[in-house]
Amino acid sequence: MAALMAVRRQFLACFRLTRDISQVRCLGTSFVQGKCSINRSLLSQTHFHTSALVSTPSAITVTEEPDTLFQKVVILVKGHDKAVLDSYEFFASLAAKELGINVSKVSEPRKDIERMTLLKSVHIFKKHRVQYEMRTHYRRIELSHITGCTAQVYLEYIQRNLPEGVAMEVTKTSMEKVPDHILEPMWKPKPADEPNQ
Amino acid sequence: MNFVPFGIRSYWVKMATHSSKALFCVGRTSFSYIGLSKSTSRVSYATALSVNNSHRNKGPSDKNGRFPRRPKREPGEPRTEKMAPDQDWTSVYPAATPFRPNSVPLPVRMGFPVKGGVPPQKKGNLELIKIPNFLHLTPAAIRKHCEALKPFCTEWPSALDTDPKCDERFPVKIESREFVSAGPSIRNPAARVVQLSIKLSSLNLDDHARKKMLKLVGERYCRDTDVLTIRADSCPLRQQNYDYAMYLLTVLYHESWKIEAWEAEKTVADMEEYMWEDSPSQRNIVELLMRMKVSEGDGQEVREQLLERRDVQEYKDSVTRLKNEGESESSMLQYKEAVKKVLNV
Repeated sequence: MAALMAVRRQFLACFRLTRDISQVRCLGTSFVQGKCSINRSLLSQTHFHTSALVSTPSAITVTEEPDTLFQKVVILVKGHDKAVLDSYEFFASLAAKELGINVSKVSEPRKDIERMTLLKSVHIFKKHRVQYEMRTHYRRIELSHITGCTAQVYLEYIQRNLPEGVAMEVTKTSMEKVPDHILEPMWKPKPADEPNQ
Repeated sequence: MNFVPFGIRSYWVKMATHSSKALFCVGRTSFSYIGLSKSTSRVSYATALSVNNSHRNKGPSDKNGRFPRRPKREPGEPRTEKMAPDQDWTSVYPAATPFRPNSVPLPVRMGFPVKGGVPPQKKGNLELIKIPNFLHLTPAAIRKHCEALKPFCTEWPSALDTDPKCDERFPVKIESREFVSAGPSIRNPAARVVQLSIKLSSLNLDDHARKKMLKLVGERYCRDTDVLTIRADSCPLRQQNYDYAMYLLTVLYHESWKIEAWEAEKTVADMEEYMWEDSPSQRNIVELLMRMKVSEGDGQEVREQLLERRDVQEYKDSVTRLKNEGESESSMLQYKEAVKKVLNV
C-alpha cells in the first residue's frame, strides 16, 4: 500500500512537473486539462499552512505535525440571487461527496430584506417617495468530522469557484486535547500564599 | 471614385469566435465600398485570446464615396454547429468565463418576454452575460477536479466517529470564523475572534476548585450544559487571541486550585448551594423534636440520634431540594410528605 502510494505520488509528481513546464494549449485529454488548471492554481500559492502540502510542486510530503481536527465546519453563503446559490449548493455538495467529506446538513435560512424609502425628487416634493429593497439570500452547509488538510483543500476549491456577487462566511470548530499544563495542578492545595507561576 | 485620403491608416483587428486570428489591414489603397449601415465589432470577453481593437472608419456617413468601408466579413458558422453531442465539455469551458452564445449549444432564452411573445434568444442577450454561470462546473468537471485534489486530503480517524467519543478525547473546542467577500478590503475584523469552549467535567478539578472556578468565571459558564466558554477578541490577530484564551484557561485552572488565607472567611451568604448542616432549619427541627420528646432530656447524643432518624433525613433532603432547585409541584409534595412523617401527622 505504501509502495503503491509512493509510486502514485511519483507519477503525479512527474505529471505535475511536465504540466508546469509545458505551455501547450489544453486541447488533448480533458483529465490533463482539469488537473492542469487546478494544480496550477494550487501551486501558484507560495505557502500552505498544514503539514501535508508542500510549497515545491514536485511531490507531496507528509510531516510529523499532527493534523487539526474539525468537529464542524459551517459554510454560510450569501447572495442576492437564489438561483446562483442553488447552483453553488449543488456544486459544493457534489464536491464534498467526491472528496469524501460528510455533509451533515444543508439548510436555507430566511432571507433578509433591507428596505429604504427615499425622496423621489432632488428638491422638495416630500409626498413623493421611491422605495428600494435589497434582498440577501442565504445557504448554510454544515460539514462534520473533517481534518485540517481536507478542510483547507475543500475550502480553497470552494472559494476559488465562488461566483461574483456571493459572499461566504466559514465557521470552524476545531477540537483539541486538554493542554499538558492543565492536567495536574501545579501545587498541592495548601492554605498558604503560594508565589505565582 | 473611392479612395482613402492620405494619412489615414486603419487597423482592423478582427477576431473569430474561438480561434485567435489577428487580421491587420493597413489601408492606403482604395477599397470597393460595400454598403452597410454599421460595422459590427466582434467583441468577446474570452480569456487568453486576442485583443479587439477595432477603429471605425473615419466618416460617419456611408453615402459619400470619400470614406469607403472595409468589406464586412461574414460571421462564420457558430461553433455550436460543429459540436458533437459526446464532446468533452470541460475543455470548452475550462474556467469561469462569461456566457458565449456561440459556444453553448443550448437553446436558452432569458429576459422579460415581449408582450405576447417569448423571452429573448441567447444571441446578443445581456442578461445571460450578466448572471454568473456554472458552465465550467458541470458534474464531470467537478469530478475531475476532485480526482486531482484527492491526494492532498487526509482521512478522518475512524475511531472518532461519534460526538461523545470526540468530546471525551478532545474536550477543548476552538471556534473561529473566516470571511470571503468582494469589497474595498479583504479583511474582516470579526475574523480575529476566538471562542474556546470546554466542559468542566473533563478538567481535573476537586470540589473546592470547581466552586472557585465557577466564582471566577461568572457568566461564562452554562449550568445546563456544563460548558465554560471563553471569548477572546482583544488582540488584533487570531493567533494572539487563541494564545490568550489558552493562557486564561491555564490561569483559571491553577488559581482555582489555590487556597488563599481569606477563603476561610467564607460565609453562608457566599455559598453556592444550600447546606442543611448548621442551618436554621436543622436547628429548628431538632429543637422541635426535643420539645416533643421531653422525657429523654437534653444532650448531644440525643440530638445526634434525632438527626440520624430516617424521617429527619427525608426532611433534610426535601428542604435541600426546595432551596436548591426552587419550588415545583414535586418538590412541594415531597416536603409535605416529609413534614407529615416527622411530625407524625
